[in-house]
Amino acid sequence: MKALITAAVLALGLPAFAQQQEAKPLGPGREALAIPHEKYKLPNGLEVILARDPKLPVVAVNVWYHVGAYNEQPGRTGFAHLFEHMMFQGSKHVPDDVHIAMLEQLGANDLNGTTNFDRTNYFETVPSNHLATALWLESDRMGFLLDALDEKKLRTQQEVVKNERRQGYETRPYGLAQEKLWKALFPAPHPYHGKVIGSMEDLNAATMEDVKAFFRTWYAPSNATLAVVGDFDPKEARALIEKYFSTLPSGPKPEKPQVAPVKISGEKVIRHDEKVGTLPMVVMSWLTPPYLTEGDATADVLANALGTGKSSRLYKRLVQDKELAQSVSAHQQSLGAQSVFTLEAVARPGVTSDALAKELDAVLEEVRREGITQQELNRARTRFETQMLAGLQSVGGFGGKADVLQSYNHYTGDPGFLDEDLERYDAVTPEKVRAFAREYLRPDARVVLHAVPSQNDSAPAAKETH
Amino acid sequence: MRRLFVAVSLLALAAACRTAPEPAPEPSQPPASEAPATPPQEDPEAFRNQPPKPGEPPELVLPKFEQAKLDNGLTVLVSTRKELPLVFVGVAFASGGSQDPKGKWGLADITYKMLLEGAAGKDSQTLDQAFQDLGVSPSVSVNPDGAFVGVRVLERNADEALALLSDVVRRPNFAQKDFERRKKLQLAELVRAMGSPGFLAQQAYLDAVFGPAHPYGHPVSGLPATVETVTLKDVKGFYQKNVGPRAAALVMTGDVTLEEAVALAKKYFGDWKGSTTPPPLPPEPAALPRQQVVYVPKPGLDQTVVVVGRPGVAVGHPDEYALELATTVFGGFFGSRLNMNLREDKGYSYGAGASTDARLGVGPLTASSAVRKDVTGPALTEFFREMKGIRERPITQKELEAAREGLIRAIPGGFESVEGLGASAAQLFFLRRPMDEFARTVTGLEKATPAEVQRVAEKYLGPDAMQVVLVGDPEVIQQQVGPMELGKLTPREPVAPPKR
Repeated sequence: MKALITAAVLALGLPAFAQQQEAKPLGPGREALAIPHEKYKLPNGLEVILARDPKLPVVAVNVWYHVGAYNEQPGRTGFAHLFEHMMFQGSKHVPDDVHIAMLEQLGANDLNGTTNFDRTNYFETVPSNHLATALWLESDRMGFLLDALDEKKLRTQQEVVKNERRQGYETRPYGLAQEKLWKALFPAPHPYHGKVIGSMEDLNAATMEDVKAFFRTWYAPSNATLAVVGDFDPKEARALIEKYFSTLPSGPKPEKPQVAPVKISGEKVIRHDEKVGTLPMVVMSWLTPPYLTEGDATADVLANALGTGKSSRLYKRLVQDKELAQSVSAHQQSLGAQSVFTLEAVARPGVTSDALAKELDAVLEEVRREGITQQELNRARTRFETQMLAGLQSVGGFGGKADVLQSYNHYTGDPGFLDEDLERYDAVTPEKVRAFAREYLRPDARVVLHAVPSQNDSAPAAKETH
Repeated sequence: MRRLFVAVSLLALAAACRTAPEPAPEPSQPPASEAPATPPQEDPEAFRNQPPKPGEPPELVLPKFEQAKLDNGLTVLVSTRKELPLVFVGVAFASGGSQDPKGKWGLADITYKMLLEGAAGKDSQTLDQAFQDLGVSPSVSVNPDGAFVGVRVLERNADEALALLSDVVRRPNFAQKDFERRKKLQLAELVRAMGSPGFLAQQAYLDAVFGPAHPYGHPVSGLPATVETVTLKDVKGFYQKNVGPRAAALVMTGDVTLEEAVALAKKYFGDWKGSTTPPPLPPEPAALPRQQVVYVPKPGLDQTVVVVGRPGVAVGHPDEYALELATTVFGGFFGSRLNMNLREDKGYSYGAGASTDARLGVGPLTASSAVRKDVTGPALTEFFREMKGIRERPITQKELEAAREGLIRAIPGGFESVEGLGASAAQLFFLRRPMDEFARTVTGLEKATPAEVQRVAEKYLGPDAMQVVLVGDPEVIQQQVGPMELGKLTPREPVAPPKR
C-alpha cells in the first residue's frame, strides 16, 4: 500500500519529496525489526532512502543500480560484472585507482561492489564524519565515469576478471560443473544463461563501445537508488545528497526486459568429468517461483528442514545414518525472474554420485508424500527471524540494514517490506510445503548434475580415492 | 608503477585534509588554490575537483570488554550492547591445534567437534534439535591457539542456549560409535580438501615456515595419516588435559550485562571442577634464510597459488604495531603496494595481499596471491621486487599515515555485531590479552614512529628469509621459476588420503 502511494506521487513529477515512514507496528516480539526510514526522489530520478541508526559513529552509503546479468546482450555474458570493475577505475574528478584506497585510508569497512543476476551494488561504511567523501566518490562515478575511461583500464580489468573467473571456476572444485548445471537450467537466450562472471570468450570480446553503451543505458540516476544508513544528521545528509547528485543528468528509467518463464520438460542429466574436486558430487535443481512471490518462502522453509543442521532430513539420512555423503545442502536461490531450488550432496570416498542421487530421491519422495512437521516449520521460522534481526546489526555490508532496505525496494518498490516478508513465513503450513514439493520438485522437471573425478586423472589425490 | 605513484600522491592529498579536520566548507566556495582566476559560476561542477573536507572526527568508540572470575577459576567475558535483543553465548578454550601431540595432528579439532556429537546423555540428533528449536546450529572453530563454540540467539533464548552449551562443554558423551563416525567424516574431509589448491598451499606453507616439529607447523585439521591414528582414548585424554574452568571462558556479548552473565555462569558452570591451566607458550621459531622453493604439483591448473612468508611476531611483541603498519602498506589494503602492482597495474591476479597474524607464540607473516599460470615467474618477481622495494623506496610519511588512520578508524565499524564482539572476546582470552587491548592497539598504532615502521619493515619483509610455496602446474613452475634462482625447486606431493 505504502509503496503504491509513494509511486503515485512520484509519477506526478513532484519535486524532491519525502515523508518520514513511521515504522509499521510489527507483530509481538518483532518490534526490534522495524527500520524507520524515509524515501524520496531527486528530480533526475535518483531514489534516496535514509535511515538513521546512531548506535556507532559510522554511516553506510549504498548504491543499487537496477541492472544485473539479466540485462546483458547475447554474446556479452559477464558484462554487468566486468562493468562493475570499471566503476572503481576513476572518473572525471577522481583519479585512477583512488576510490578504494581513499576509503580504506579513512577507515572504511564493508567496502565493495557486487553484481548478481538482478542488480549491481556499491557500498562502503565510513566513519560518520566522512559521509561527504563517500557521496563525492559515488556521485562522481555515477555522473562522470566516461570522462576518465580508457582502453588500458578496460584491458586490465578484463584480465582481473578473467583471473577472478579462474579462481572461482576453473581452479575451484566443481566450479565448471556448476556452470554447466546453470546453463542447462536457463537455456540461451534466457538472460540468466551463463553465470554472472561470464565466459572467457565473452569477456575477451568486450569493447570500449560496450562499456559506454552500458553506462549510458543502465547507469543513469533514474535507474539507481542511494541508501544512507547510520549516524548522520538528516538535514545535513539531504543537503549533501542534493549537492553531489542533483546535477547529474539523467534520462528516462530504462525498461526492464520481460522474459517468459522457463519450463523444463523432462529430466536433464549432466555427467561432468571433474578435474579439480576429489569426491563425486550430485546436484539436483528445479526452477521455482521468483523472489517474494507465492511459493518462495515455502521453498525456504523446506530447504531449512532438508539441509540445515545435523538433525535435518538430508544430513541425518545421508551423512549421519548411512554415512554415504560428506556434506549435504539444500537451498532456494531467490531471483527476480525465476528462482532455483537446489539439493547438493558430496560423496564419501568410494561412494558413487548415483548412490547419493537415489538417497536424495528417497528423502524427496517422503516430503512429497508427507510434507514436513509443524516442529520443523517452527524451527525454520525462528531461524529466519533470528537471522533477520542479526542482519540489522550492521548498517551496511552484505545483508546489513542498507542492503535490506535496498533489496525490498528493488523487488517491491517498498523499502519497508520487511513485515510483509515475515508474514510470508507465517503463512507457510506443512501442507503448503507438501504441495510445493509435489508441484515444483518433480523428477521430470529438473536438472541433475553428476560431477565425478576421473579415474585416471593426473591429480594424485583423486587417483588415491578409488 | 606509474599508477601506484599516482595513487600514493592522492592519498597524500586526502591525508592532509584529514589531519586538519574542519567543518565542511560552503559548497559554493572551492579552495582558493583550485581556480584562482576563474569566476566560480563558469563550471558549476568545479566543486567536485577536490575531495570534500571531512567533518570533525567522531570520538573513537572502542568495544568495551569486562571480565569476572568465578571461584572455580572460570573466566566470564562480557561486552554489552543493548540495541537489539540478541545475545552471543559461547565458550572459549585455551588450548588449540598447537597442543596436538606429535603424530596425532588433528586431535584438538576432533576433540572439540566431538562436543557437539552428543552430551549429557542426549545423542547428537536430540542435541541438535534442541539447538534448532532456538533457531540456531552451533559450530565449533578450532585454531592454533584455542577453540570456540557458541551461538547467536534471541535474548529470550540465552538462558536455554547456555544450558545446552554447559552440557556440551562439561558433559560430552564421547561415545565410541559417534567417535568412529566423526573420525571418518574428518578423514573424508581431508580427501575433499586435497582438491582445494588453497588448502594444499596452506599445508606446505606451515611446514616450510615453522617446520613439522613446531606446534604451528601443521594444519589444525591434521593430515590423513595423523588423523588415522587418533583414538577415542586420545580424545578423552585431550579433553581431560585441556578442558576445565581454569582454561576456559564463558563469553557473552550483546543484550546482557556483566552481572547477568556472572549469574548465568554461576548457574550453569559454578560447580564445574578441574585444575587444568592454559598450556605453555609455543616456542619462537627462527627465521632461516631460504634454501628452497617448495611447490605442490597440480598439472593443468589454470592458476598458480603463490604463498610467501616467514615467522613474524608474537602478540604483545614490541614490534607488533609497527609491523602491522608496515604490512598494511606493503599488502594489507586493496590500495597497498602489492595489490596495486599485481592486480591493478599488471592484471596478473584477482588480488594479492599480505597480513601478519600475531599469535600467542610467533605467528606467520604472509603474502599471497593466485596468479594466471603463464605469469607465475613474473608474478613472483614482482613479489620480490616489492619486498626489496621496502628498502629502496622507504615507506613514506603519507603511506604510513594512510595505513595508521585506516586501521584505527576502522575499529568501531568492525564491532557492529554481537558475534563479532564474541569472536574478539574469545581472541582476547586465547591470546591472554588485557581487557583494554583495543585501546592499547590504538595507542600502539598511534605511537609507532616512521623510523620504527621502516626498521621493522626492513627486518621482517626482507626477501632472504621469505619461504616460498607454490601450487600449480609443475612444468610451468620449473620453466618460469627455476631460472630465477630463488632456491632449489623442491616438489612436495600432496599427502595421499587413505584408501577407503
